[in-house]
Amino acid sequence: MEAYKAKSIDEVIRLLSQFEGKGKVIAGGTDLIIDIRNKKVKPEALIDISSIDELKTIEDLGSFIRIGAAATFTDLVESSLLDENLYGLKKAAREVGSPQIRNRGTIGGNIANGSPAADSVPPLLCLDSTLILRSIKGEREISLRDYYEKGFKIGEDEIISAIQFKKPEGRQILSFAKLGLRKALAISRLSIATLLEIGGDNRIKTIRIASGSLGRHPLREYKVEEFLIGKDFNEEVINEAVLVLKEAMEERLKGRATLPYKQRAVERVFKDAIYGGLERLKVVEA
Amino acid sequence: MKLEVVGKNILRIDALSKVTGRALYPEDFYMEGMVYGKTLRSKVPHAYIKVDTSRAEKIDGVIKIFTHKDVPNNKHGVVFKDHEVFCSEKVRRIGDPIAFVVAKDRKTCELALENILVEYEEIEGVFDPIEAMKDDAPKVHGDSNIVYHFKIRKGDVEEGFKNSHVIVENTYKTHMVDHAFLQPEAGLSFIDEEGRITVIVATQYPHYDREEIASALKIAEDKVRLINANIGGAFGGREDISLQIHLALAAHELKMPVKVVYSREESFLAHSKRHPLIMKYKTGADKDGKLLALEAEIIGDTGAYASWATNVLRKSGVHATGPYFIPNVKVDSYAVYTNNPYAGAMRGFGATQVPIAHEQQMDMLAEKLGMDPITIRLKNMFKKGSVTATGQVLTESVPLQECLERVVEKMDFPVGEKEAY
Amino acid sequence: MKKISLNVNGKDHILEVEEDMRLIDLLREKLGLTGVKEGCSEGECGACTVIMDGEVVNSCLVMAFQAEGSSILTIEGLGDEENIHPIQQAFIDVGAVQCGYCTPGMILAAKALLDKNPNPTEEEIREAISGNLCRCTGYNKIVQAIDRAKEVLR
Repeated sequence: MEAYKAKSIDEVIRLLSQFEGKGKVIAGGTDLIIDIRNKKVKPEALIDISSIDELKTIEDLGSFIRIGAAATFTDLVESSLLDENLYGLKKAAREVGSPQIRNRGTIGGNIANGSPAADSVPPLLCLDSTLILRSIKGEREISLRDYYEKGFKIGEDEIISAIQFKKPEGRQILSFAKLGLRKALAISRLSIATLLEIGGDNRIKTIRIASGSLGRHPLREYKVEEFLIGKDFNEEVINEAVLVLKEAMEERLKGRATLPYKQRAVERVFKDAIYGGLERLKVVEA
Repeated sequence: MKLEVVGKNILRIDALSKVTGRALYPEDFYMEGMVYGKTLRSKVPHAYIKVDTSRAEKIDGVIKIFTHKDVPNNKHGVVFKDHEVFCSEKVRRIGDPIAFVVAKDRKTCELALENILVEYEEIEGVFDPIEAMKDDAPKVHGDSNIVYHFKIRKGDVEEGFKNSHVIVENTYKTHMVDHAFLQPEAGLSFIDEEGRITVIVATQYPHYDREEIASALKIAEDKVRLINANIGGAFGGREDISLQIHLALAAHELKMPVKVVYSREESFLAHSKRHPLIMKYKTGADKDGKLLALEAEIIGDTGAYASWATNVLRKSGVHATGPYFIPNVKVDSYAVYTNNPYAGAMRGFGATQVPIAHEQQMDMLAEKLGMDPITIRLKNMFKKGSVTATGQVLTESVPLQECLERVVEKMDFPVGEKEAY
Repeated sequence: MKKISLNVNGKDHILEVEEDMRLIDLLREKLGLTGVKEGCSEGECGACTVIMDGEVVNSCLVMAFQAEGSSILTIEGLGDEENIHPIQQAFIDVGAVQCGYCTPGMILAAKALLDKNPNPTEEEIREAISGNLCRCTGYNKIVQAIDRAKEVLR
């Protein structure tokens, strides 16, 4: 195995092309190093991107925010751009692993590894995020939703260079809640992110819901969204939404031993996300 | 009498070396000319085996591969000699040691392990201790899987239940637990300046280890020296032999320093577990909540080897009543072989599991009697002078009542009130 | 083999490392810094914690070549018998050391915390050591020790 500590994106994509699919990008290494040692992956070359500054910046592009793929969870937690309405993404980042893992693990790695339990992904799905991919052939964009739901692939010669999304508008609030078996270092048993906006007439104006560990990959809960949109926001409606969510889960997780447990647990996690978001909104608007 | 240490906070003598990172654990020792060892372990729970090391022996850098043929006395074990240093004919659990490779470095050890051919002729295993107790169950060792049966007979339980106003019957199960001490097993062996086989290891029983090594190698105990390095936690999990004999054998044969460091995974495979128990309980009390009878059957799954099973299941039996006086008691506790990971010592040694059963029984008796859980305990608990189910008279301090009363006070627990039920 | 340069405990090193070598192997085997402990090899236990460019990392989850150009602090660089660091002293005084295997990682996690936040709350202390397991169940003493060290350092 060869090893390269790359200094620029250009160097990375040149190396990826040179190794024709046998090169593996390493950033935090918090999953990859374990896989290499267990001989699950046997790359010919490791290409380290953990110290490329242009891959680590979190940028405010006016109505959009762009997060470099090699930004660590600690970078996200410490970014002032993710306070206020985007706090759900920060909360998800803060609940990843441990301080040691957050200092190394990256948002790009969370996506590229395709874990169903990737904590940062449900909030990014709620934001309708776009993945920006680079290769020597150039740059292209795919939506995060298509990456998960339509199985769009990241090419072997491509690197995720950034994740981009539109900032929430008006009174939209992004929220996140997770159930782990303990406080730290817990892989999510299930997680829910919501983007919610309640209009002046108390009707639900915006609702996007994404879940983690309730399917083979993180996904949007369209049926629940359809149920909620335009409805008067009250406890009864939220309770009914929980039933819709349970039904959707059942279809996807039928036969799994964890289903009964998750069906009981999901109610609280979903409500934590919804009401936690509204609590946060009060703080943001105060 | 003036006490110098008891009742005082004193500084640990080893704390300074530990906070500065200078404290040496077995894997921290390095020697000139040191080579590495690694263990080949069974991948199946119950099988006859044939081992072919010839291909692995030809690998450049492999110094020697040890199997049962190289061990003068292949048997060991803390109570019963039911472990083999290396499995000779049969493996009895996943993780059973089959061979030990010594090579110039760790990577070569791994390569050699991959090249040892083990032919497994799998046989039916038994994984449920209740199944294992049946006559027609597959046998792990010899002709019975029942390693141990401990009995308590006090008074007449039939009579006790007949006179009981309420009876509660339940079965409780606890699971296997690993100690997960933070420092995986490691060791270094060499021949010291006086010609003694020396093993640096982290162990709870250096004297037992020395005895077991001497016995396995058929040499005098004074030719074996154990150095106990710093121990990164143990909790009962370092009471059995893991790598001690492998290391001693290698240094003895090869006359060179040999080092072994287990991974976390191998550590899980190598050492004992807490016994999972199945506890069938029947408890009776009179109208006032006075306990009259207890009958318990406790079955401990000791896995493929006995280790401390006799002592652990005896302790479970002795503690089966909990800290309560009961006039009529019948307890049967068993330790049973299965093809599961082997169980041995772990913090509490069998006394840890039974409270799940006896305390839940108390709560349920209280509920049936419309009594609160504190009152029923206060009526029955051991006091100075109480006689336990095994006939022990508690002559020293028994401050249980005082303890419970303080808890009640601190919790502001509404004893006797409706909300306490 | 790959040549890398890095600074460990204030000293510059240029070393030849294997491509598949991890930072923990470099520190233990090449530099003899055995205060770096290996407990799980997958980032769960934190025994191998070191401070890399000011932040705690699991040295079992960093490849040696990735550490090129970085500054590493291990327990050996924090303080020794003659020049003990207040966090180390607090661990001794409070009785926060039992088997000692988690101790170097715990102390470095505390160091990284107090460098950034000299006056942490108990919750912040617990959060800072949440990636470090102690199996002797000594967390309360460890939290107390860090709390005491904070007072001494202020």
